[in-house]
Amino acid sequence: MIAAALSIARVKFVLEIRRREVIFAMLLFIAATIVIVHFALSGDAGAGNRAAAGMLWAAVVFTAVLGLQRTFAAEQEEGALDALLLAPIDRAAIWIGAALAQFGFLIVVQLVAVPIWWLLFFQNGGPSLPTVLIALVLADLGIALVGTLAAALALGARTRDVLLPVLVLPLVIPIVLAGVTATYGAFGEEVGGLRPLGFLALYDLVFVALAWGTSEHLLGD
Amino acid sequence: MLPPEVTLTECSKRFGERLALRKANLTIAAGETIVLLGPNGAGKSTLLRLAAGLLRPTAGSARINGVDATSAPRNLRAGMAYAGHRSQLYRGLTARENLELHARLHGQPDIDVLALLEQAGLGDRAEERIDGFSRGMLQRLALVRATAHHPVLLLLDEPASGLDADGRALLDQTLRAGLGIRTQVIASHDHDLPTRLAVRTIRLAAGSIA
Repeated sequence: MIAAALSIARVKFVLEIRRREVIFAMLLFIAATIVIVHFALSGDAGAGNRAAAGMLWAAVVFTAVLGLQRTFAAEQEEGALDALLLAPIDRAAIWIGAALAQFGFLIVVQLVAVPIWWLLFFQNGGPSLPTVLIALVLADLGIALVGTLAAALALGARTRDVLLPVLVLPLVIPIVLAGVTATYGAFGEEVGGLRPLGFLALYDLVFVALAWGTSEHLLGD
Repeated sequence: MLPPEVTLTECSKRFGERLALRKANLTIAAGETIVLLGPNGAGKSTLLRLAAGLLRPTAGSARINGVDATSAPRNLRAGMAYAGHRSQLYRGLTARENLELHARLHGQPDIDVLALLEQAGLGDRAEERIDGFSRGMLQRLALVRATAHHPVLLLLDEPASGLDADGRALLDQTLRAGLGIRTQVIASHDHDLPTRLAVRTIRLAAGSIA
């Protein structure tokens, strides 16, 4: 199953390298959001670290939703999803492959976005970077897992562009809370420590198990 | 792998208000080839997708060797192929990459995809992305993809649409090669096809088997 999932993820990366449909839009969105919020808060000295932490996580989540809208777009163009569903593979492999691709897209986007965020908000020293990066990786995994599951749920709906954010955003609220707590804690101003990171890891595990068990029924008619 | 029997029992499918297929009863014996004829909207595509397990019946059942088609296990799916109105290919990949993906997902990475493309008259287009292909070329590639893993159940939905004379010859050759060896169900507007293949015809009209 892992081989099939990797094959599907690889196809999605190849398509993205050739078409630049998803990552480019995500990059523009997250960079614009960070810059706009930076200028919006520039006159407010009291906004400080908490605002910077909060805006990073809000930008990450909304950027992820933008990418998730295209999760199965390539499979729908010419009906490739039918071929995947009929292939002798575990249907969870389709979901895992798509989630891995989304995870990769988020990582690529954040490789650009986090330095911008850092440069704009923390000229005089910021939070512990390893903590923030670990939180982001764990959160990206959770968002990709949950988002791909929701994208599969919304696949057959005519209003899937509206339905997807409605399904995803409530489910990722715990990720945002843990992410903000971990980031703010990484300033050393509050006790953050390992607890929010542990929560993010647990969240990922729960949704791996949930999606694994339901993907057979979610994908298909 | 032996060809399977496909059975639809009182099988109906409704899309919202529209009843696309009404209480269809049909048994396709193992190794039999049948041609579904009928006007547009008669229910041919719906019947094929039900038989493939890509749609769940609203009522009744669609079974392959007695197994519910929608929950066909992997070993049964390994011998199935369905080609519908769309090519089921990735438009951003080349012809070769599409067939290689299909081969990998079917656990047959050693399939000689270049030989298959040559056979389909697409050998010189192997490295081209298929979003530049004509309808007929996509149809040929879809046919090659569907048969690449030597399925024992082949479901084809209007496979001749968009094909030129060479493409039709390839299709006829593929279908003839499968006679008696695999179970084949072909939805078509070609009224001569059953005679050419000397096989049974099923006629559909307004969602019902005539």
